[in-house]
Amino acid sequence: MLKQSSPAPLRRGIVKLWFAFDAVVALAPPLYWAADGRTATVAGLPTALFYFLAVSLCITASLIAAYLLDTSDEGAAA
Amino acid sequence: MIITFGLLALFFAAVVWVLQRNRTVDQSFTDYAVGGRSFGARYQAMSFLNTWYPGSMFTAFGALSVTAGVMSFYVLSYSLLTVVLLFVLARPVWIWGKAYDLRTQGDLFALRYGSRHIRTVAALIGIVSGLPWLVLGMQALGNLFQAMSLGALSFSTSVVVGVLVIALRQVWTVRMGMRGVVISDYMQGIVAYIGGGLMLVGLIVWLVMARGSTLGTLDPKMFAIPSFSSKEGPLYLFALMFTGALGGWCWPYIFVRLFTADGVRSLKKSAALAVPLTFLFGVALLIFGMLASKVPEAVAKPDDVWFIVSEQAGGLVLLGLAGVVLLAASMGHTDGNIQAYGAQLANDLVGNYVQLEQRQMIVIAKVGMLLLTLLASWLATLTLPALFSLAVLAYQGIIQLSIPQFLGIFWRRGSRQGAFAGMILGFVTAVGLEVAYGGQLPFGYGLTSGCFGLAVNLLVYVACAYLLPQSAEEQQRVDELFTVVEANREGRTAVPPQTRPAMA
Repeated sequence: MLKQSSPAPLRRGIVKLWFAFDAVVALAPPLYWAADGRTATVAGLPTALFYFLAVSLCITASLIAAYLLDTSDEGAAA
Repeated sequence: MIITFGLLALFFAAVVWVLQRNRTVDQSFTDYAVGGRSFGARYQAMSFLNTWYPGSMFTAFGALSVTAGVMSFYVLSYSLLTVVLLFVLARPVWIWGKAYDLRTQGDLFALRYGSRHIRTVAALIGIVSGLPWLVLGMQALGNLFQAMSLGALSFSTSVVVGVLVIALRQVWTVRMGMRGVVISDYMQGIVAYIGGGLMLVGLIVWLVMARGSTLGTLDPKMFAIPSFSSKEGPLYLFALMFTGALGGWCWPYIFVRLFTADGVRSLKKSAALAVPLTFLFGVALLIFGMLASKVPEAVAKPDDVWFIVSEQAGGLVLLGLAGVVLLAASMGHTDGNIQAYGAQLANDLVGNYVQLEQRQMIVIAKVGMLLLTLLASWLATLTLPALFSLAVLAYQGIIQLSIPQFLGIFWRRGSRQGAFAGMILGFVTAVGLEVAYGGQLPFGYGLTSGCFGLAVNLLVYVACAYLLPQSAEEQQRVDELFTVVEANREGRTAVPPQTRPAMA
């Protein structure tokens, strides 16, 4: 999906969008309202816990991807 | 007690030994205040974590996960967003820091807005807002030493012992400045978050295997998140996470981490290293707390959940190790605080109005740290009933730095007038609402006073940017600042138009 051969501005755009998506899923109240009190399991976890873990994983993955893409940009520029 | 206090003493001695081995003479105030901008990614990552996650993570947030369950995960969400902001801020702030020899958060304000007085305002807000938290951090050590004494010491005596230990530790913070802080953070961070994380995993396994506590057996109320039916209000969690993520970079002791790295690449790599550690440690701690809600002793005394479960699972040795982990986390947070405020005192307050030599700046910073340590230590031994309220209020105040800080870094239109007026009106709004309604606003749906302050702050900042145009000279000065960052991104070098932010 995020190929190193894609243009650097495109990759930077994708990272910005992903960071914005992180903020939305972490902060948007309707998402956590929907998870409030839910104990039905998703992937073996209560839904309320699954929501927070999924958000946290999304943010973690975005930052690692951003660093890897940034490094590849710098490598290409060198 | 010999085992528990012995382990604490051994760890303390090890930290001092590492610091003594790495002692050097700082040649300049930049060396003293930001460690000569010499630290690589691993040191940066641990230094950020050790300052960001204080010892109270194990006590206050451990307790929150025991009592409130899954909602305590908000701390993980905003902590991770804070690391994202580290990545985003890395390039412009480090580039300006290097090009203009910035050493404090106040320096960045002075540079961006071309005013030395804004440096004073930012420093005063930072120091005044941070002091209650510094005192609370010292007092929290009371829990640690009471647990380590197996209940033999009273809480008030434990607080005094804790304050004496942490004050003694500051001898090396004062002597070695930022270099000492970062080097010790590296060791303390490994113990607190990697060692502590492994302990948490072991304790989770013990809770599941020995106590039969699993996610499926927890009370359903442990999965409640404040919503429309909650007493806190439906926007309460949003307010906590939003102000938490923005506010993280408003604390001077966190912001200064952006100046201690040896380059933009190290800062970005430190974010990539810190983020999985933040995630794994946070998840382990909060799941541990939730599972510990099945342990009656922990429910009766949730602040001590870390010690209670450790002792039940592994006896005095594990209790002692739990104490070492908490001491490591507490020391990192406290020394980062004291170092940053000492540097601000010399650079942003005294040095802002008096021409000082490098050596004089270092001496003033050291004296400032010493006085601050003594003041905080003395306050920590007193019974101050309003301290926690003051600390909460301080948070609503300090996040008012975020508008001029973030918009100033990324938007060249923001002006000095907007920064001053926005910060002051935002601060007054937050404090006014807090004083009038005492924490919970009847019309806020869970939003805190700081959120309303931020809205006023933003409105004023943007209005000033559009309604009060900057002079051509000021606009050119700001454009040149942004050119320096853009040139770096494109691999060019731009000559900084000035060497230090507004001094005259």
